[in-house]
Amino acid sequence: MKRYLRRMLLAGIGGLYVLSVPWYRSGGETGGSVFGLPDWVVVAIGCYVAVAVLNAAAWLLTDIDEDGT
Amino acid sequence: MSFGQAGFAALLAYVAGLAVIAELARRARRDDSPADHFLASRDLGVFVLFLTLYATAYSGNSLLGYPGEAYRRGFSWIMATGFMMSIVVAFHLLVPRLRPVAVREGFVTPGDWVRHRFGAEPAGNALRLAVAGLMIVALANFLFAQLKAMGVMAEHVTGGIVSYELGVCLLAATVLFYETLGGMRAVAWTDAGQAILMLVGLSALLGWLLIEAGGLASLSEAVAAVRPETIEVPSTRERTNWFSTIVLMGLASVVYPQAIQRVYAARSGRTLQRSMALMTFMPITTTLVVTLIGLAAIPRFTGLGAVEADSVMPRLLEEWAAAGPVALVAAVLVFLGALAAIMSTADSVLLSLGSMLAEDLLGRAHWDAGATRLGKRIAAFVMVAMAGLALVARDVTLWGLIELKMELLIQCVPAFLLALHWRGLRAGPVLVGILAGSLLAVGGALLGEKRLAGIHIGVVGLVLNFALAACLSLRRPR
Repeated sequence: MKRYLRRMLLAGIGGLYVLSVPWYRSGGETGGSVFGLPDWVVVAIGCYVAVAVLNAAAWLLTDIDEDGT
Repeated sequence: MSFGQAGFAALLAYVAGLAVIAELARRARRDDSPADHFLASRDLGVFVLFLTLYATAYSGNSLLGYPGEAYRRGFSWIMATGFMMSIVVAFHLLVPRLRPVAVREGFVTPGDWVRHRFGAEPAGNALRLAVAGLMIVALANFLFAQLKAMGVMAEHVTGGIVSYELGVCLLAATVLFYETLGGMRAVAWTDAGQAILMLVGLSALLGWLLIEAGGLASLSEAVAAVRPETIEVPSTRERTNWFSTIVLMGLASVVYPQAIQRVYAARSGRTLQRSMALMTFMPITTTLVVTLIGLAAIPRFTGLGAVEADSVMPRLLEEWAAAGPVALVAAVLVFLGALAAIMSTADSVLLSLGSMLAEDLLGRAHWDAGATRLGKRIAAFVMVAMAGLALVARDVTLWGLIELKMELLIQCVPAFLLALHWRGLRAGPVLVGILAGSLLAVGGALLGEKRLAGIHIGVVGLVLNFALAACLSLRRPR
């Protein structure tokens, strides 16, 4: 279960990385502003904050076997 | 007291403080073995390990190069927060498999893994030398970048009292002194203090810039008014490059020798696990902050050239210091934080260089105390050579140096990540892959073809490298 959850978290991180790049918009657009920043920048920041949370959880679920067995 | 005089006094006090730490670390050493000198007897706890990982990962590149690149590119440099985080993500592929073997076998250098995994095969020795050679070239490049950053910082912040040339020489000598005297213990202890200075200093500088600009919205408007293209959605080629940079930085940084040696140096697996969990948040508190600092420089300094842009951070500090006595003290603290970050990376690189040159390239055994002495001497020689280069080669951007280093380093990835996860991988095919990938990366750089449709030539080289290593291993299994 722990291993499965960790894999799901890592898959989620991969998805967030793809989403962080503004593929969903055309190059050269200015778009709107959120919290004083361009909206595509806010989406990227949001994705990276979520990556940090998921990755920290994934590390806490990681077993590092010191005996090397 | 002017900012330059205050900066000069702080610089001298800081160098003296480092000398004291080096002496304390020397007294704390247990023996003359490479494991004690290069890995602090594998006894780094969560707090020190986390701070030394942090101070090592965030270097002159982060403190000078990243604000400079944010100044040049604009808001799309938000990608830096993502790629710095991808390093801690990519460590999932390395740490859980490498750490147990490293503890069991007593590894000191990255080459110890290659020797352990491929040593019984005919091409094993050549592969170890190829991996060591690539890593050493990348580390020398990295050291050069840190020395260049030290000179820029010292010159700007002392108002020219310390020239670029004197800054490079003085600070290179300081790093060499405390690293030689105290080894990994001195490096890790100074890193811990340096990391705290860096965190506090950067947050204070960003706070001042936002207050001065009138908030985030006003800052964006000011940036857009000066350079409207910086708030536009990047082109398809730039977006591809964004994703390529995440892959390049994430995978290449995992095989940084100094990072691998910190995996070996942790007190326990649990210590490592907790340090990594903490490290994953640091791009938000550091890379995002330096990106915003670089953006804030756009309306303040117009028309800086590509190389000049790397000095936006010290230029901002000079402006901040002029705001009053409290700002002066705060600006000097930020200067120390930035300089600390640069020096902490330089010392880690130097330590790794010494151990790798002695053991991986010249073949000294990792239990041999003579390897420690030889490593120190060679590291000193490399430091002098790179300092000399930093004095003459000034017309290159820090980000340009980072990309070149990463494109070479990433070619070592199959020898670690693929080898840790696939028993069928063989030494000969890995060597062929490394040579082909490196040739493509170096050839592309020499011919000025650094990207293919936005993808780094080093990433293209890695795909070729992986394909050759895997296909040839499948064709001729053990």
